[in-house]
Amino acid sequence: MPHIDLPQGTLDLLILRTLALEPQHGWGISERVQQMSSDVLRIQQGSLYPALHRLERRGWIKACWGTSDNNRRAKYYELTKAGRRQLAAEQDTWLRLTAAVAQVLGTS
Amino acid sequence: MLSDLLFRLRSLLRRRAVEADLDDELRFHRERQLEKYLRSGVTRDEAMRRVRLDFGGLDQVREECRDARGVRPFEVLVQDMRYAVRTLRKSPGFTAVALFTLALGIGANTAIFSVVYGVLLRPLPFREPSRLVVLNETTPRVGTVSVSYPNFLDWRAQSRTLPEMAAVYGLSFNLAGTSRPENIHGLAVSSSFFSMTGVRPVLGRVFNASEEKAGTAPVLLLSYRLWQSHFGADPNMLGRVVTLDTRAFTVVGVLPSDFRWTEQADVIEPVGVWATGNSSAAERGERGDMVVLGRLAPGATLGQARTEMEGIAARLSRAYPADNDQFGVTLQTLRDAFAGDIRPAILVLLGAVIFVLLVACANVSNLFLMRGAGRTKETALRIAIGAGRGRIIGQLLAESFLVAFFGALGGLALAAAGINAITRLMPMGSLGGAEVSLSPAVLLFSAGTMVASMFFFGLAPALHSARTSLSSDLKQGGRSFSAGAGQNRWRTTLATTEVSLALILLVGAGLMVKSLYLLLSVNPGFQPERVLKMELSLRTSQYEKDPAILNFWRQLLERVRVLPGVESAALGTAIPLTDDHWRTDITVEGMPVPEPGSFPHPDVHIASPAYVSTLGLRLLEGRAFADADTETAPRVAMVNALVAKRLFPGTDPVGKRFHLSRPSPGKAPKWLTIVGVVADTRLYGLANPSRLEIYLPYTQAVTDGMSLLVKSGVEPAAITSAIRAAVDSLDRDQPIYGIATMKQVVEASVSTRRITLILLCLFGALALLLAAIGIYGVISYSVAQRTREIGIRVALGAQRSDVMRLVLSQGARIAGAGVAAGTLASLALTRLMSKLLFSVSAADPPTFAAVAIGLTGVAMFACYVPARRTLRVDPLVALREE
Repeated sequence: MPHIDLPQGTLDLLILRTLALEPQHGWGISERVQQMSSDVLRIQQGSLYPALHRLERRGWIKACWGTSDNNRRAKYYELTKAGRRQLAAEQDTWLRLTAAVAQVLGTS
Repeated sequence: MLSDLLFRLRSLLRRRAVEADLDDELRFHRERQLEKYLRSGVTRDEAMRRVRLDFGGLDQVREECRDARGVRPFEVLVQDMRYAVRTLRKSPGFTAVALFTLALGIGANTAIFSVVYGVLLRPLPFREPSRLVVLNETTPRVGTVSVSYPNFLDWRAQSRTLPEMAAVYGLSFNLAGTSRPENIHGLAVSSSFFSMTGVRPVLGRVFNASEEKAGTAPVLLLSYRLWQSHFGADPNMLGRVVTLDTRAFTVVGVLPSDFRWTEQADVIEPVGVWATGNSSAAERGERGDMVVLGRLAPGATLGQARTEMEGIAARLSRAYPADNDQFGVTLQTLRDAFAGDIRPAILVLLGAVIFVLLVACANVSNLFLMRGAGRTKETALRIAIGAGRGRIIGQLLAESFLVAFFGALGGLALAAAGINAITRLMPMGSLGGAEVSLSPAVLLFSAGTMVASMFFFGLAPALHSARTSLSSDLKQGGRSFSAGAGQNRWRTTLATTEVSLALILLVGAGLMVKSLYLLLSVNPGFQPERVLKMELSLRTSQYEKDPAILNFWRQLLERVRVLPGVESAALGTAIPLTDDHWRTDITVEGMPVPEPGSFPHPDVHIASPAYVSTLGLRLLEGRAFADADTETAPRVAMVNALVAKRLFPGTDPVGKRFHLSRPSPGKAPKWLTIVGVVADTRLYGLANPSRLEIYLPYTQAVTDGMSLLVKSGVEPAAITSAIRAAVDSLDRDQPIYGIATMKQVVEASVSTRRITLILLCLFGALALLLAAIGIYGVISYSVAQRTREIGIRVALGAQRSDVMRLVLSQGARIAGAGVAAGTLASLALTRLMSKLLFSVSAADPPTFAAVAIGLTGVAMFACYVPARRTLRVDPLVALREE
């Protein structure tokens, strides 16, 4: 199945959603997204990190250094309270958007 | 958002750590990705290729992360600053001139603003000070006068716009019991004074309402300063007894350290203590040294209060014609009462320093433009390799900012020195006790000045540079200065502006110089040379009877007269140009009796026989007082020329008679015979017209407070200690105060004008210098720019003098336009300072002409120096430059 490039603005949502499960490092996030989307979605690895930094600046995620499963130093990100609220809001918007788009496509 | 800001700040401050973290993070990612590919069985090389492909450019990711952290603007700023420091250090001459010019401009502004703030803006240390007003009485014969206590009581009872009022009476005391007897100043106030002003004592209590009534126990509040200096800040001060004159006062409180009043106040007593046994408290016709403080009712304006009070005064005038005929009331804000008549001088100086700053900014702006023209190639190159116009402007503004910032720092240092000098030159009294210092508000003002000047001098050059045209500037290789016509016009405009601003300042200074010169050539009516003045006030119980007082004065005169070096010694009250004077109605024998408010109301001087000769008064008719005019001899008086002219027109007043106060039925008047007429003296300042004056002999009108005048050929300091010894030999507890030479008295009376004049001259000279530098810069730059043109002209046979004329005419145009514009502006502006001028019109043609000619001369000289350089232009060299 071919990959689909992420539409504008969905990267943040996917990162937040992934981190809602557990704290994760950057590589882990991109793997998890790929996995959860059955390999359809693939994050441009170059654009992942600027997004992480932006989310951190907004206070939706916070970072701390930890040890990875293969015993190496890795930077883990986790969701903050504000991040959880943001995720809920964005998720809601997204679902309504896709439902509406689907509706339009379905009736046309 | 705060967290956002903190995040950016942290990223900025811990930049290195954050970058290293990012590198670690990215490395971790790539390693995991590599492992993943390796596990899937591809070769190592292929795996690494895929990782690179997945990831994209590493530097680009880093850059994007930086953007995401939101620190780019800061980093650009830091970069610009670093670069600006480097470029400024590369041209130390330019930087030094720019910094120094700005430091002068900002320093002068800061120093003057500190005075403006201290005197006119800083909130007075009272509750809602803008609602407080000061009331005085007025009479057409004198002007503003003190308030009579019974009138105050009626005002307070009747006014609705000023529901709260307090009487404030100025007093002086001899303070005994400390190391050296001394004279201190005090106030007697109504108890409401404290609730109205919100002044709370640091120790003890203020006065209560019952202490307004005569007969109350003598209690006292000490000023913080007196408590510190004379009582060692004794924490157990309350209840201690302080002896003032001969009365024992119990201290009930200490005033806060920031308390100040329009006059010096070392102690405050309740008005009831002052009223005890004091006829002034009961008699409506007595107007001592009292003002009334009022607080405007909520919602009431000063205008409404004025209208209401004028009505009340008019009613009181009708109700008590004997004491209130022709007496009105005047109101001013407490701020005005504090600022006194120094406000116009301060505002004129503030205007002047703003002009100085404008000239300084114009100069620096010109420097920047000139340098910008030299850097055209650099700018064009930067644009060519991708710098946006915003970055170019930002870069130049960074340089402007640094120059402005360090200029402001230098300015603060200059201001600190300047404030020191100003407070020493300005008599403390004229500043109303205001604190003049580099307070936070003043520093804020300096910062504002810095930012304003930065934009004023930095923006135009920055915009000009950014307008650089790529192709032409790069092609010309930056060799010839390719400043466009627009830039030259702008630079010429700046130089012209400088000339006109300098002219305005110089005209102002010139008018002040002429005023002060004319003022000091006014004949004060006395000869101040070699005369020393000191004051004595006999307050202790041994001087309750007139003979005791007179005895003291007589002996003092005898002992001082024989001191070595003393030519003459005299006693007198109301020395000209010193203080407020005692006045009274008089009745001339045989004159038609006028309305109560229209009696002649002269100033009364009491004098010993040598007074006329010691002070150098000119005797016009008759004789001065003599030793024979004793207390038992026939009562005599002298009058001044104005009395002779007004009250005895066309006749010789010598031999005529008058008596003090108005005729009182049933009482035989005590007639005084006029024995002499002396010339008028300037009582209330050299600029103020003469007033009616009468003189009474000290033997026949005994008073306990007199000034001792000593004319001698000896140093004032030496004679002072000899006189002090003479006083000590008579009464050890007798303080001497107000010691000054009469020269100093005259100087002090013009000190505000003098300091204004000195500062205006300083600012004018500064502006002149800067304007000259400005013109010099423009012309020398233009000469450099036109070297080739001049070379061609010379090669084609132009005379050197023609070429010189060409350059000079450019300077003449700048000077001419500047002088013309400056003259017009001066005509409009100098009117604002007419209050400071004395017998000089604000549009005085000689001053204007002198300044215009002088300024043109300086401007032409500034042109001549660079113009001479054209004489050395070698056409061969100039043409080869191509």
